[in-house]
Amino acid sequence: MGLVEIATGKVLSSFSVFLFLTILLLVVARRISTSVLLFSVQSAIIAAEVFATGFRERLAEAYVVGALILVIKVVAIPRAFFGLVDHLKTSHDVKASTTPTQSVFIAAAMIYLSYAAVHSYGQSVHVPEDALAASVALILTGAFLMVSRNKALMQMLGLLVLENGIFLAALTTTFGMPLVIEIGVFFDILIGLLLMGIFTFRIRDTFDHLDVSKLRRLRG
Amino acid sequence: MKIAINVLQALALILGGPLVRGIVARVKAFLQRRQGASIWRPYSDLAKLFRKEDLVPPTASSIFRVVPFVLFGTTICVASFVPLVQPSALLASRGDFFLFVYLLAMGRFFLSLGGFDGGSSFGGMGASREALVSSLAEAPFLLSLVAVAILASHADIAGMVAWTMQQNIFNISAVHILAFTSLAMVVIAETGRMPVDNPTTHLELTMIHEGMVLEYSGPRLALIEWASAVKLHAMLALLVALFVPWGMASSVSVGAIGLALILYCAKAAPLMVLLAVIESGMAKLRMYLVPDFLGVASAVSALAVIFTILVKR
Repeated sequence: MGLVEIATGKVLSSFSVFLFLTILLLVVARRISTSVLLFSVQSAIIAAEVFATGFRERLAEAYVVGALILVIKVVAIPRAFFGLVDHLKTSHDVKASTTPTQSVFIAAAMIYLSYAAVHSYGQSVHVPEDALAASVALILTGAFLMVSRNKALMQMLGLLVLENGIFLAALTTTFGMPLVIEIGVFFDILIGLLLMGIFTFRIRDTFDHLDVSKLRRLRG
Repeated sequence: MKIAINVLQALALILGGPLVRGIVARVKAFLQRRQGASIWRPYSDLAKLFRKEDLVPPTASSIFRVVPFVLFGTTICVASFVPLVQPSALLASRGDFFLFVYLLAMGRFFLSLGGFDGGSSFGGMGASREALVSSLAEAPFLLSLVAVAILASHADIAGMVAWTMQQNIFNISAVHILAFTSLAMVVIAETGRMPVDNPTTHLELTMIHEGMVLEYSGPRLALIEWASAVKLHAMLALLVALFVPWGMASSVSVGAIGLALILYCAKAAPLMVLLAVIESGMAKLRMYLVPDFLGVASAVSALAVIFTILVKR
């Protein structure tokens, strides 16, 4: 039993470091499939943190939320993405507007910024600073992915990363939102993904590509 | 007694180098569903080369003849800096990690001189590419070692290893993960493995290491090949020693040393398999993408140094 508790403590305190690693890899990934896999890994890490929180705080709801994350974010959404990539028959390149080196320096700066941002807050309320910084960094990275990648698919992925960050922030500060709200949020994501999937098909059918930087003129 | 073990572990690093190459090649063959050569093959290759005639291009100067010995000498020095079964090494008290990095750089410098001096156009191309790759790899290499050194408050490698051994195995910090990532990328670039350089061919226009050694033959080629195998082994051992040193012998007894040796093999094996998987799974990067690869490593290592402030606070 003691071992499980040590393991939970370690998951809570050190897994956010792996989140930083996924952030850094996500901004350098050059293929859509790699980015989707990284998103899946990232969600799995967050699911582990949810389970650890549930175990430590004796919250039965957390297990349900964790299972939902495993099913939806780790398995279902990546599968849907792979299906989209297959059906759309576009190139696998993410079409980044920054070089990998620039991206990684920007990501490093954002990680440092998020530490600076949460430092004073983390000391006044007793929350793990690493996890809080990771959540802010995830939000920033999600936004960065959305503005710096030209493929419509990557903007969906950026939004999902951003949502992961918001979820993690809620988890670290208040041990997660009530179950009803969580289910509502998951439902929102799924509907949003569905709509965005339809949109990417429409963009592809109208313009024959998914490069949003070229969407300058109106077309009938 | 301690010195004897230090000598033995340096010898193990030097003599085990070709074996590491053989194992990586064997795992690669397995992944590609080939039969593959025996893991002892690099030794017989070396033995064969040592018996062959030594040919020197008529235009080459004396630098060309000296290079293999300088390279092998610096590589032996590098190998005797790396702890293997106990947190100390033969030359550990003689210099810090800066000396370690620049001894490697000195070997590379002389090898590129040899590449230029050989007189073939491939040699010059390989040497100038090596100069590019090594100058870009130097910053992340140093920075990731600096990050670990700041944490450990020790500048010599054995001291860092001894400090890490006292830490809890679960207490991984961001610094260690980031430093490991960037150091692993540097190892790939430094030892000329797959995404940066293809170690198995000397038929490509983009070759780096093989281009430089194209004019060498016989015993001199054997020394160069042996040195590069030792370098690979020393870098893998450095990764193991810096980031997973637990299990090294803290006392000098036969049982503890034997256990440490077995554990070292168990820890190095996943790294070798990982290397083989990367080599089989990735295509070689275009030459112009190598700076990007190493730029990522630099950013990660810079982040590691910055994170030491957060961890030490």
